[in-house]
Amino acid sequence: MKIDRRFMEEVSRRSGQRFEGCFHCLSCAGGCPVVEAMDYNPNQIIRMMQFGMQEKILKSRTIWICLGCFSCLAQCPNRVHIPAMMDALREMALEKGVEVAEPEILAFHRQFLNQVRKRGRVYELEFVARYKLATGALFQDMGAGLKMLMRGRFQVLPSRVRNLREIRKIMEENHGGKKWS
Amino acid sequence: MAAKNGVKGDRPRKIGYYPGCSLTSSAKEMEDSFMEMAKMFSLEVVTMEDWNCCGSSPAHSTNHGYALLLAGRNLLLAEEQGIQELMVMCPSCFVRLKEAERKLMEDEEKNRLLESVLGRRYGGGVRLRFFLEVLNDLKMDEFQSKIRTPLTGLKGALYYGCLLTRPEWITGFDVGPYEKFLEGVVRTLGAEAVHWGYSRQCCGAHLAVTKADFVDRMVDRIRDHARRAGANCLVTFCPLCQVNLELRGNGVEPLPVFYISELIGLAAGLPKSRSWLKKHLIDPQPLLRSLGVLS
Repeated sequence: MKIDRRFMEEVSRRSGQRFEGCFHCLSCAGGCPVVEAMDYNPNQIIRMMQFGMQEKILKSRTIWICLGCFSCLAQCPNRVHIPAMMDALREMALEKGVEVAEPEILAFHRQFLNQVRKRGRVYELEFVARYKLATGALFQDMGAGLKMLMRGRFQVLPSRVRNLREIRKIMEENHGGKKWS
Repeated sequence: MAAKNGVKGDRPRKIGYYPGCSLTSSAKEMEDSFMEMAKMFSLEVVTMEDWNCCGSSPAHSTNHGYALLLAGRNLLLAEEQGIQELMVMCPSCFVRLKEAERKLMEDEEKNRLLESVLGRRYGGGVRLRFFLEVLNDLKMDEFQSKIRTPLTGLKGALYYGCLLTRPEWITGFDVGPYEKFLEGVVRTLGAEAVHWGYSRQCCGAHLAVTKADFVDRMVDRIRDHARRAGANCLVTFCPLCQVNLELRGNGVEPLPVFYISELIGLAAGLPKSRSWLKKHLIDPQPLLRSLGVLS
């Protein structure tokens, strides 16, 4: 069987990582605080890359569940930067337009970045409201949200960056990866 | 550790400050309590002009260009504003800015990208400092002299979460060497710092919104272990940890969650400290009253 190595090489290029060193000691998976919510362990993603299993990886939950807490990197004997690998994989999943396995998490990122695009800063009240509208989870945490509002935990009026032109340039131009929003 | 009875002038009297989005909204009391504390120690904190969001997880999770340039713009502005030391209080903002700094200084191509979008390069003139480093510059005997209401009976489980506890070569700050100092601060305030094993567990970060049930279980485990260790409150150093530890969890009796700077303000009897307590989702006032810390 011939294995297509182009996918792994592309992830390597984007993340600046080499994946040959992984010997599946499971330090990454053992220390990961969110591994139970993943469909593949972080090391399994590396193995799948070595076998060229692009589609399964890009459609996996794992790449979206990773929080980037660096627990895996701190424990990896070969210092494979798994969070950088996950960043590259998510970027590729979006560019290729594959079906995202965790649409709520993507909606979270998207609504957050929309706030940045609009004001250069995140207006938490609107961000929460828009995330809820986008996902239909309107009533989840309604009580807690109201409590936060009543106790003055949200800034009532948004603040924004004066030089928004610069923010727009950052968010609108193509920076090596394909434009995504 | 700094020399005892340090000579005046061996720590900065003025420092630049990058707030970030949380510190101006959901974690406003983290900012307020730190600012009040800084005043008490005659440290002048100057907020940088026209800062923007660091990009946080959503930027690096979806587009490396956004992450680099959003964080990079703040470094550029701070440099232009003549800020030599820039303090950051949110661990996530700190790591994002630090990561951009590293890339801009090590990779010429990245600085060229910054120049092509924003018209200027970053020269590396800003020293980023996490707020615990700044806190550490203030001497323990200075804390002692400020205490009006000792927090006797408060048993805090110091909770560091994820980004503070990774090696310095990854994030630019490791709480390890500061842990003894922080436990010392808590004891100086008259409170206890309990020994427990969950101080480095993750709070669930943004999954608290998107995977609430999952993070409920993570927070319950943290609360459970804090209770078993005899704690009656948690002490945090991160705006996201504070919210998650208050908001999530449903199987274990919740514990009040304080920022370290709130406890310092409370012990120093700062008038504003009462208003911070009212913002908590888990009301800490009944506990403080029962201990006689609040009347």
